[in-house]
Amino acid sequence: MKLHEKILTHYLSCTSPVDKEGYLYKKKERNATYQRRWFVLKANLLFYQDRPADRHLLGVIVLEGCAVRRLEPDGQFAFSLVFEGPGLKTYRFAAGDGQTQESWVKALLSASHCYLSLLVRDLGRQYEEAKQQQGSGESRPSSSVSALKQSTPNFLLPVQGPTAVVRAGRSFSAGTVLQAPSIPNKVVAKKSPKLWPRRNAHVTPLNGPAPLYGEWPLVDFDPLEDFSKLHDYYGQEVKKAREEWLRSRRAEEKHSDGDLIDLG
Amino acid sequence: MRFNEKELVCLSRQPSEMAAELGMRGPKKGDVVKKRLVKLVVNFLFYFRIDEEEPIGALLLEQCRVEREDSQSFSITFLDEAERKYLFECDSEEQCRQWVDSIMKASYEFMRKNLIFYRTEIHRLTGKDPLEQYGISDETRFQVNNGLRLTPRDTSSL
Repeated sequence: MKLHEKILTHYLSCTSPVDKEGYLYKKKERNATYQRRWFVLKANLLFYQDRPADRHLLGVIVLEGCAVRRLEPDGQFAFSLVFEGPGLKTYRFAAGDGQTQESWVKALLSASHCYLSLLVRDLGRQYEEAKQQQGSGESRPSSSVSALKQSTPNFLLPVQGPTAVVRAGRSFSAGTVLQAPSIPNKVVAKKSPKLWPRRNAHVTPLNGPAPLYGEWPLVDFDPLEDFSKLHDYYGQEVKKAREEWLRSRRAEEKHSDGDLIDLG
Repeated sequence: MRFNEKELVCLSRQPSEMAAELGMRGPKKGDVVKKRLVKLVVNFLFYFRIDEEEPIGALLLEQCRVEREDSQSFSITFLDEAERKYLFECDSEEQCRQWVDSIMKASYEFMRKNLIFYRTEIHRLTGKDPLEQYGISDETRFQVNNGLRLTPRDTSSL
């Protein structure tokens, strides 16, 4: 399969900020030695090259459908990316120290597209709730967010529902020490949102500023009514998922006081 | 450049709502429209020969512009120096609109902008940072000045 590399390299070098970068040791698959590489994490892509200044990229790892695991403390500050499935790889890394290791594990845990999608949906629902609690007074963002007024309307629909990547739900480590937001797979596996009125998508155009609020073409719906219904519908799923997560965290905290090792 | 091909192929097999046979034309001069199974999974657009298991290719949907070309077709232009443009022909206007919409919303950068917007607004409305409960407030990727073209403003409380 061809991966159009120029698109990836362009994305890497364009002005949007990098999510994390630094040296890590990457284990070679064959002879189990480690090689130091410069890694750059952007969105759900982990690029690597010999040195920061290098133009030539050695490779990229697409971070969907993998779990992040902290490995046994053997002085190597090691962790791995485990792609689950027959014949799929495990990438092994080692950091220079514990802080670097923690920082990378945390960054990788929140890197997947699926994770971001769930998070956006959850926040979208919280936003609707917050707006309703504030009363119907504001139909426009206030001046303290004046810069945002230009860029996004205040009823953005979150991205598509729990469509595709069931596997990607596994991008959450089993590690209990980190406050890893392990939103369970269940949320992703629900049936598709056929209820979703697709045509009501007022979204920010990718590459231009969004028109001002008043200029949005008015489609025949009431954003406050339909949108909150949508969010209620998803809110229930997310609420359940969150409650389960909180419950399991509390249970884990009770059991795992000394359990700093994720034995994977 | 090396990449995790098997894993990406595996990703391309995940169920997706946006999967359909479309006419697809590549960016090079002389490219013609060919029938392909086009499938949107996360921020990748995979395309397969009809009835083949492994995709021919994968297009990362970042730094690109999606536009309606006419009532039933749309294009994706990648914004590198070459400005490669791919054309897609749909069966109906409605299908075309769905694809344009879905592709726009699939972009990671688009989602990030949404997230930052919600985070800022929730904080403004409630005084609380919604990412705290997940322990991810400090992650670079969710910072308010990340990914938005903003005039500088005081976000010290975030």
